[in-house]
Amino acid sequence: MSAVIDITGVEKTYKRRIKALRGVDLQVGEGEIFGLLGPNGAGKSTLVKIMMTVISPSKCSGTVLGQRIGDKEALAQIGYLPEHHRFPPYLTGRQVLEHFGAMSGIKRKERKAKASELLELVGMGNWHKDKLGSYSKGMRQRVGLAQALMNDPKLVVLDEPTDGVDPSGRRDIRNILTHLKDEGRTIFLNSHLLSELEMVCDRVAIMVHGLVRTQGTIDELTADQSGFVITAASPIPDSVRTELNAPSLPELVEGTSENTLSYKAENAEAVQPIIDTLRKHGVVIQSAGFKRPSLEDLFMQVVDTNNGSAPGAISGAKGSTKPSKGAHS
Amino acid sequence: MILTQTKALFVDAYRQLNAKKLFWLTLGLNLLVVVLFAALGINDKGVTILHWQFDTAPFDTGNVSRELFYKLQFTEWGIPIWLSWATIILALISTAGIIPDLVSGGTIEPVLSKPIGRTRLFLTKFFTGLLFVTLQVTIFSIGCMLVIGIRAGAWEPKLLLAIPIVLAVFSYLFAFCAFVGLITRSTIAALLLTILFWFAIWIVNVGDAMMIAQREGSILKVEDRQIDVERQREFAQKRLEQLEEEGKPIPSSEGLDTSDGFEPDLEAVNPTLRMSKNRLKESEAAAETWTAWASRVVLLKTLLPKTQETVGLLERNLITQKEIATLMGMNDRQAEMMVNDETPAFADPRAAERATKVLQSRSIPWILGTSFIYEALLLLISCIIFVRRDF
Repeated sequence: MSAVIDITGVEKTYKRRIKALRGVDLQVGEGEIFGLLGPNGAGKSTLVKIMMTVISPSKCSGTVLGQRIGDKEALAQIGYLPEHHRFPPYLTGRQVLEHFGAMSGIKRKERKAKASELLELVGMGNWHKDKLGSYSKGMRQRVGLAQALMNDPKLVVLDEPTDGVDPSGRRDIRNILTHLKDEGRTIFLNSHLLSELEMVCDRVAIMVHGLVRTQGTIDELTADQSGFVITAASPIPDSVRTELNAPSLPELVEGTSENTLSYKAENAEAVQPIIDTLRKHGVVIQSAGFKRPSLEDLFMQVVDTNNGSAPGAISGAKGSTKPSKGAHS
Repeated sequence: MILTQTKALFVDAYRQLNAKKLFWLTLGLNLLVVVLFAALGINDKGVTILHWQFDTAPFDTGNVSRELFYKLQFTEWGIPIWLSWATIILALISTAGIIPDLVSGGTIEPVLSKPIGRTRLFLTKFFTGLLFVTLQVTIFSIGCMLVIGIRAGAWEPKLLLAIPIVLAVFSYLFAFCAFVGLITRSTIAALLLTILFWFAIWIVNVGDAMMIAQREGSILKVEDRQIDVERQREFAQKRLEQLEEEGKPIPSSEGLDTSDGFEPDLEAVNPTLRMSKNRLKESEAAAETWTAWASRVVLLKTLLPKTQETVGLLERNLITQKEIATLMGMNDRQAEMMVNDETPAFADPRAAERATKVLQSRSIPWILGTSFIYEALLLLISCIIFVRRDF
């Protein structure tokens, strides 16, 4: 899988003293949905704006769609929905799409057909003649998403696409993203809504203090903390615990509670001997199952680790820095 | 792609103007002015407004042709008041927001992410701002041309010169407005500072006209006093010859002012000659001072856009000074009769006429060339800022 975004050492310093980005390295593979996460002020929007030529980097090397950042040919193949966008309120939904389509250089006939198709796709077919000024925030967001797709982009960059959208609208947008991915497009998402990202993203990167602290698939990033958890109805005696520490059994994760045992095991078969041992000693098993930390857990862990610390990359950041082949859908 | 994008930006500008009620209000006002223009008329008894007759003799068809009457109304009212002030102010109000709106957060991002260069984007947006004035002035000028054609039977295509001329004046101001709008991102600041800048240009124009009137007046004064000195010298010469013929002694020149250019015998027989010489000297000093000041103001004007002179180009093309002079019934002899030695230099009607000639003799390359250089420089600075700015 070739990299659609392959940038290294992106730096941005405002007014010669505020370092927004401190050397970001990022690779996004073709056809994947990539999520960029980070707390406020992490530099996510700055990074997106640099890719979209809205701001200029202090230092940057690499390519987007195989061209240097800002290349007009590459920009013609990128669709962009900015955060807090304000499309002209005097235009109708259709006019917004046609205007931005024209700005991408699309011919009139093609623009008209594409606008109709996209308005239907985002569920705005019935309101295409109404002025944007009369739209709700969710409706404007749908039109914004449609305008990002007017140029039939290979790369779609969406900054907070579900901002202001109700739950059913969010589901619609998730479906659209999946549809776009199925069409082979690459999607770069910048969002605060971790649960949304978790549902659709193949790979994520977490930024803190102007640096990408970790990136990879959610499975890769949570592999260290994933495991099989067995919960007993009562505290597990120490004698039993000692027996369960045998080298032949899966590794026991430290820090579990009196009633709980966590093992680094990838499947249920590996923990059967443990269950047998517990049952042999009369321990009543309340539940047993595979547990993986959520994206939110991972996010909080990365943020907590890096918050307050002097800026700098985590040594041996988790996950691959290259696009994964085993991206989940 | 360039054509498609440019067309899209112009269509968007049209929609933006169309959405503003001010566009239609101005259009309505333009048409109203044209209707009022059409309501005016002139016959052998005087001026008419619709069916009302006003006795304005000698301002009647006996002295003023219908064609001249309408051209005069157009040049005296239509251009200086309506096109030069009202239309431009309304246009500035309507378009001052174009650049601040473009660079506002949330609007600029999707535009910059499109495959269009920032310089081209800024300049195209600037030119879309000129669309307002083009539409309004075109409608007004065509309306006035039709009125003169139908009412006076004279088809004057030169009226259409108003379109590029008013457009040029507006573009000088709009370049400043766009620059301020880019810097401040505020429509109100852009509008107010542009009007202030325009007012400053007007002050310089007034100063320029005053300095030139003063200069020309003081030069006239010098010329008058040179004649006076010559007369006094001739008189003294004759008096001297008369004394010699009569064998009378020449009065002593002792005690007289012997400063530069002292002519003992002549000044002894005619002491007024010294007074005339002193007055001439004063006038020459004043003329030198006013010439220096007038040059300084012209230098300052060279750096600024020439709004007044640019509009003046239209008047120059539509109506000749001879026509105006005939109409005013004023000639040089009458003007001279109104002047005496105590008349201030600038109040001399001949000075005003000479000043008008000087102002009107300014070359088109100087008027338009320096104004467009100013505009190009301002746009260049704006483009550099726009290209380098992070949004």
